[in-house]
This record gives sequence, structure tokens and C-alpha cells, in this order.
Amino acid sequence: MTTDRLPDRRTGLIGGLLLWFGVLGGALAWTVHALAAWSIDELACAAGSSEVAGMPLRYVIGMTVLIPAAAAVAALAVTCLAWRRTEPGRAGRWRTSQDAGSPRAGTVGHALGRARMLALVGLASNLLFLTIIVLGGVATLVFPPCQR
Amino acid sequence: MSTVAELPAGAGPAPAEQLAARWEEPRTVRAWFTTVDHKRIGRRYLVTASVFFGLAGVSAILLRTQLAGPEAGLLSPQEYNQLFSMHGTAMIFLFATPMLFGFGNFLVPLMIGARDMAFPRLNAFGYWVFLFAGVFMWASLPAGAAPNGGWFAYVPLTDEVNSPGLHLDVYTLGLLFLGISTTAGAINFIVTALKLRAPGMSLNRVPIFVWAIVATSFMVLFALPALNLDNGLLFLDRRFGTHFFDPEAGGNVLLWQHLFWIFGHPDVYIIVMPALGIVSAVLPAFCRRGLVAYPLVVLGVVSISIISFGVWAHHMFATGLPQLSLSFFSAASSIITIPSGLQLFAWLTTMLLGRLVMRAPLLFVIGFIVTFVIGGFTGAMFALTAFDQQVTDSYFVVAHFHYVLFGGAVFPILAAVYFWLPKITGRMFSERLARWAFWLIFIGMNVTFFPMHLSGLFGMPRRVYTYPEGLGWDPWNLLATLGSYILAVGLLLVVVGVVHALRRGKPAADDPWGGDTLEWATTSPPAPYNFPVLPEVHSLHPVWDPRTAESVAAGAPEARTLAEGRQTIRTSELDARYEQPIEMPESSLRPLVAATGLLVVFGGLLFDWYWVAAGGGLLLALTMVGWLWPPAEPT
Repeated sequence: MTTDRLPDRRTGLIGGLLLWFGVLGGALAWTVHALAAWSIDELACAAGSSEVAGMPLRYVIGMTVLIPAAAAVAALAVTCLAWRRTEPGRAGRWRTSQDAGSPRAGTVGHALGRARMLALVGLASNLLFLTIIVLGGVATLVFPPCQR
Repeated sequence: MSTVAELPAGAGPAPAEQLAARWEEPRTVRAWFTTVDHKRIGRRYLVTASVFFGLAGVSAILLRTQLAGPEAGLLSPQEYNQLFSMHGTAMIFLFATPMLFGFGNFLVPLMIGARDMAFPRLNAFGYWVFLFAGVFMWASLPAGAAPNGGWFAYVPLTDEVNSPGLHLDVYTLGLLFLGISTTAGAINFIVTALKLRAPGMSLNRVPIFVWAIVATSFMVLFALPALNLDNGLLFLDRRFGTHFFDPEAGGNVLLWQHLFWIFGHPDVYIIVMPALGIVSAVLPAFCRRGLVAYPLVVLGVVSISIISFGVWAHHMFATGLPQLSLSFFSAASSIITIPSGLQLFAWLTTMLLGRLVMRAPLLFVIGFIVTFVIGGFTGAMFALTAFDQQVTDSYFVVAHFHYVLFGGAVFPILAAVYFWLPKITGRMFSERLARWAFWLIFIGMNVTFFPMHLSGLFGMPRRVYTYPEGLGWDPWNLLATLGSYILAVGLLLVVVGVVHALRRGKPAADDPWGGDTLEWATTSPPAPYNFPVLPEVHSLHPVWDPRTAESVAAGAPEARTLAEGRQTIRTSELDARYEQPIEMPESSLRPLVAATGLLVVFGGLLFDWYWVAAGGGLLLALTMVGWLWPPAEPT
């Protein structure tokens, strides 16, 4: 079964969970941010409360900005790494030296092309989602919670 | 440029005869009702959705005639309410999405080099349900029982007290019925695109149109449950006296809007996204070069499909939600312009760097770009809470969403009609008729909808059936009505053009435009089995890549000819590595019977005939048992 495993540590980034975290992490982070920040603000205000579990509402909403933003930055870092590690030069060297003659010969370059595209998509999407989270976060500095 | 339509020299006539014997359907009445061929089903979606579009268009002409002058008496308020509700409901649910699903049905298996959809019988079932749901809703109009609460059906205007009669029962049940078809179609598209791609078509070689259809299908799966829940709750409130939307009994009217727009805003992109995919498919053929920035266009498709779920509250800026929570949606609504803009600039750069061949499909793409940009621009204005507060529920909103939806969906759909007509029918259309149609539609559309921006800014509210004289709205309404007549003539010319092509059109070549995706690599119209040999893909532009043609030339392996059975190839999800051939089902009457069972269920529910509904459910269940029963082993 060793021939079915990509024989280089770099390739863990090509098809593994880490790459998918890189591609989708920013989107997931923003989803959590939007739903958590909105629903906490709505529910707390509807209940007439300015605290959540003893913590001021503003701080809680601030955390729903900062934690997802940190996750989006982490996803961005992973996609940067994946983008660097799937450079055609590196991929070519790796394929000729490690994969020639194996049943997977030819398919690894295939996987690298796909991984590189996903890395690029992830890189740009993480920047996009980070921007939305930051813009949403700016509002927490300007608007007090529960203002109608 | 080369094609892969020819059988490999070594294959001989036997495989062709075998394939035809396994895939061709007899020309009988029974075969018409039992077909599971994705191309026939795709064509049916296109024709049926066009008929519903025609009905919605006639409704629109009546509405515009009523509004041409102040105090007009062509329609009563009740008639007006039903017509505008059916116009919106049909345009959104019975035309735009099914039309794009029609193109998806016809094209996705061809574009990915497969012989059919992953679940052909489910595909046929989806079509029959769509047809029955559409008839279910339209049949209520001559009976005076059509939905009358707008396509959004806001509670409490639509509760039992404020809207007695069957109107809203038709709406809730009709949309629940239709949702079954849309969900079935979405699942089928996802599995088809993930598992049946030709060997070698890894994710970085998937045509943008297929990306768009898959993204749309995921959006349908995540968005539609919110609408179904909303309609289910409203039906329970109206029919069985529950209180989900009744504030006096602890319910909440805003719950309707939240659930509706959690579906409703993604639905705008469910409509527009495949249309954007069409534009990305049409441009390379008429620019004589591949689409610029393919990964960034994919980014646009994927990002829009995600962000569209987080902007629903911008439809509710005027409902009194806290400012801070609105800001999260304002940010997302503003930022969605970036992935949209990425696609736009990719198209413009492709046109700039390419060598333009100005034919009718490209004209419609250019018309799309102009109108969609105007609609997108006013959309960005709505993302600003303060501006939104001023123009909400005015004709400015009507103008905006018609620019987005007519510009963003109808223009690309018409581009697609002209682009793929030779492939679908094997006949070329009259370029002259097509150009007349384009200019009438483009001028008519702008004359109809642009004045609505002005009447809206001057304070004209939407959803009014008439207005008094002297408010400054008269000239803009008259102009809009004249524009709608021009638009109608243009759309009629499209129909004339299609009929003319079918009767008098010159035979079309396999690849008349020089397209780059796999549907152009087979005959026009395609054989029932699509490809004599399933191709092996080596690049993003397989038809422009000689290696793909070589992959089906002499010596093509039996594993990709698959002449022994009714088979196609299953491949891995990410890299499309060959896995194994899979058997496709034969034609069957069960999809039609199952859809009929559902029609009986919903008809029974509508008229309070619960035993009839139970009978329909039993018919459905028995059909499903037969459907799922394992076939007998060949002896």
C-alpha cells in the first residue's frame, strides 16, 4: 500500500484535511462570525439584557469578531504554504525523483495541479472573508449594541 | 481544433450498433412518457419553462397596461394582486431556475464527457414534478384562486384572516411541491459532476458552467429547506390553526421574513449563478481564446454562493433590527461585489485579449454585462443602510431587481438559447432575426425598467394597482409600459427565430462556433449515448487540445467505449481518476407515476380531501418500493 501513499511530507498538504481547512476555513470563520454576532446581539437585546453570562455584551460580540478573524488568518497562512509548496518547479522535481515507475506516476502532477488551483482559490477567498469579518468588527467600535 | 465525434478506426461498426441498440429509445407514445434520457428531459425543461415564461410575460403586459396611466380600470385590485403574485412566483420558481436546470440537464453530462446524469430516473421524476407543480399553480388563476400576496407572501398579509380562500394555500403547497423537483435536480447535478467526469477532468479542468451548476445545487440544498419550513408553517397556521406567525399567541411575524430571505437572497444567486456560468462558456468561443483567470472565476462562483447566505437581513433593514446586527449584513452585502467584480473583469479581459467574433450569442452577453452592472451598482447602494431606508418598498427596488434578474438571467439565457441551439436541434438560426430580437429586447428592457428608478425616487410605492394623477409618476409609467411592449415584440422574435431554425435552419456543424468544452466534440444533435468513446481529458480546453482527440482515436481502450451495456464511467471526486464502469437504468414509467402520486397528495391537501391525499401517498410509496426493488439477476 505504500505506493498509494504520497511519499513526501509536502503532499500531506495537497490532498489532506489541512488543505481543505485552508480552502474553506475563511468561509467557515465568517459564517460563525455572522451567525454568532448577529444572533447574540438580537437575542440579548430582545431580552433587554446588556450582558451574556456576566460579560458585557460588547465584549462578547468583540470575541465573535476576533476569534473568527484569527481562524481566517490561520486558513490564509495554510493556503500561502500550500501555494508555495505546489510550485511547478518543486512538483516537477518531486514527481521525477519519487514517483517514476510507481502505479501513481502521472497522477501526482494531476493532483498537484488541482491542489495549486485550490490553494489559489483559498488564498483569495480567505482574504475576502477576513475583510468581511474586519468590516463587521469595525461596526462594533462604532455602534453600541441594541441601538435601533 | 479537432473533434472527438468519430468512432475510433479500430472500433469498427459493431460498437456503434451496440451502443445505439442499448441507448436509443423507440418512437412510441410509451417511450415519450418513460424516457430517462437527460437530453430529452433537458429539452422538456426548456420548453416547459418557456411556456411558463410566456404566461408570466402576458401577466406583466397586463400589469404594465394597467399602470400606463393614473386611475386606470383595466384590472380590479383583486385581479392585479393575483397577476403580480403569479408573475413574480412564475418568473422566479417556474421559469428562471427550471430554465437553467434545463440547460444543466442537457449540457452537464455532455460537458463532463458522460453518457447521462447520475440518477436518470430521478431526473425524469424531477421534470414531471416540475410540470405538475407549474400546472397546479397556473390552473388556479382562471379559477380566481391564484396566490395574491406577492412572490414573497409576507405574513400577516397572508394569514387566514387577511387572505381568506385558497390563494395562499395554492402558494404554500405549490412551492412545497415544486421544491421536491428542485431538490431532486440539485442532488443529481452534484453527484453527476462529482462522480461521472471523464477520466482526467480534475477540479482544475472542470468547465465554469459545471462549477456554477454544482455551486447552485449546493445553494439549493442549503437554502430551500428554509422556504419549505416557512411554507409548511404558514400552511399549518392557515389550515390547522397553529400560531407560528401569530404575535397574539406568542408567534412572530418577522420569523416569516427571516426564513423567507434566508432562502430568498441565495435564490437570487441560484438564478444568476448558472447564468454567469453560461457567460463564461459562451465567451471563449467568440473571443477565440480561453477564459482569463480561471481560478479567480471559480473563486467568484464559490465565494458568491457562500456569501449570499449571509446577506438576507439587507431585505429587512427597515424592520427595526438593532443597528449593530445590521452592520454585519451591510458588510457582507458590500463585499459580495468583489467576487462578482472578479468575474466581470475576467470576462472583460477575455474580450480585450481575444479576437471578437460578433454573433448573436455574444451580443446577448454584452447586453447582459451592461444591464447586470447597472443592477449590481444599485444593489451596492442598497447595502448602505441609510440609502436603503429611503427607497425601501419603492419602485426603485423593482427597477433594481429587474435589472439584476432580467439582465443577469434572461440575457444569458437568450445567449445560451442561440449558442446551444445548433447543438440541441442540429439546426442553425437566422442571424438577422436574432439581431433584431436582441436590439428590441435590449432597448425594450431599458425603456421598461430604467424609468422605474425615477418613479421610485419620486416616491411611487411598489405593489400598488393604480395611482392618482399629478404626483409626477405619469410620464415614467407611460414610458415603462411602452418599453414593455417593445420588449414583448423582441421576445416574440426569439420564438419566431427558434421556430424558423427548426423548420428552415441550415444543418449545423458539430462545432459551429469553435467552442472548447466537450459538448462540441460530439455530433449535433448528440447521439443518445452522447460519445461513441468517452474521452480522456488533458486540459481545461479539451476540444482545443489534440491529446483529447487522440484519446478516442484508433486504439481507444474498451474501458472507455463501453459498448457492451448501458454504461458510463465512474471516476474519483477530486482528480477524476478512473474507478469503474457503472450500469445506467433503462426507461421507466415509475417517475411519472410517482409524480402523479405527489400531484394527488398536494391536490388532496389543497381541497381538504385528506383521504385522497392519503391515496396519493400510498401510490407514491408503492411506486417507490417498485423503483427501489433490486432487479432480478440475469439467468
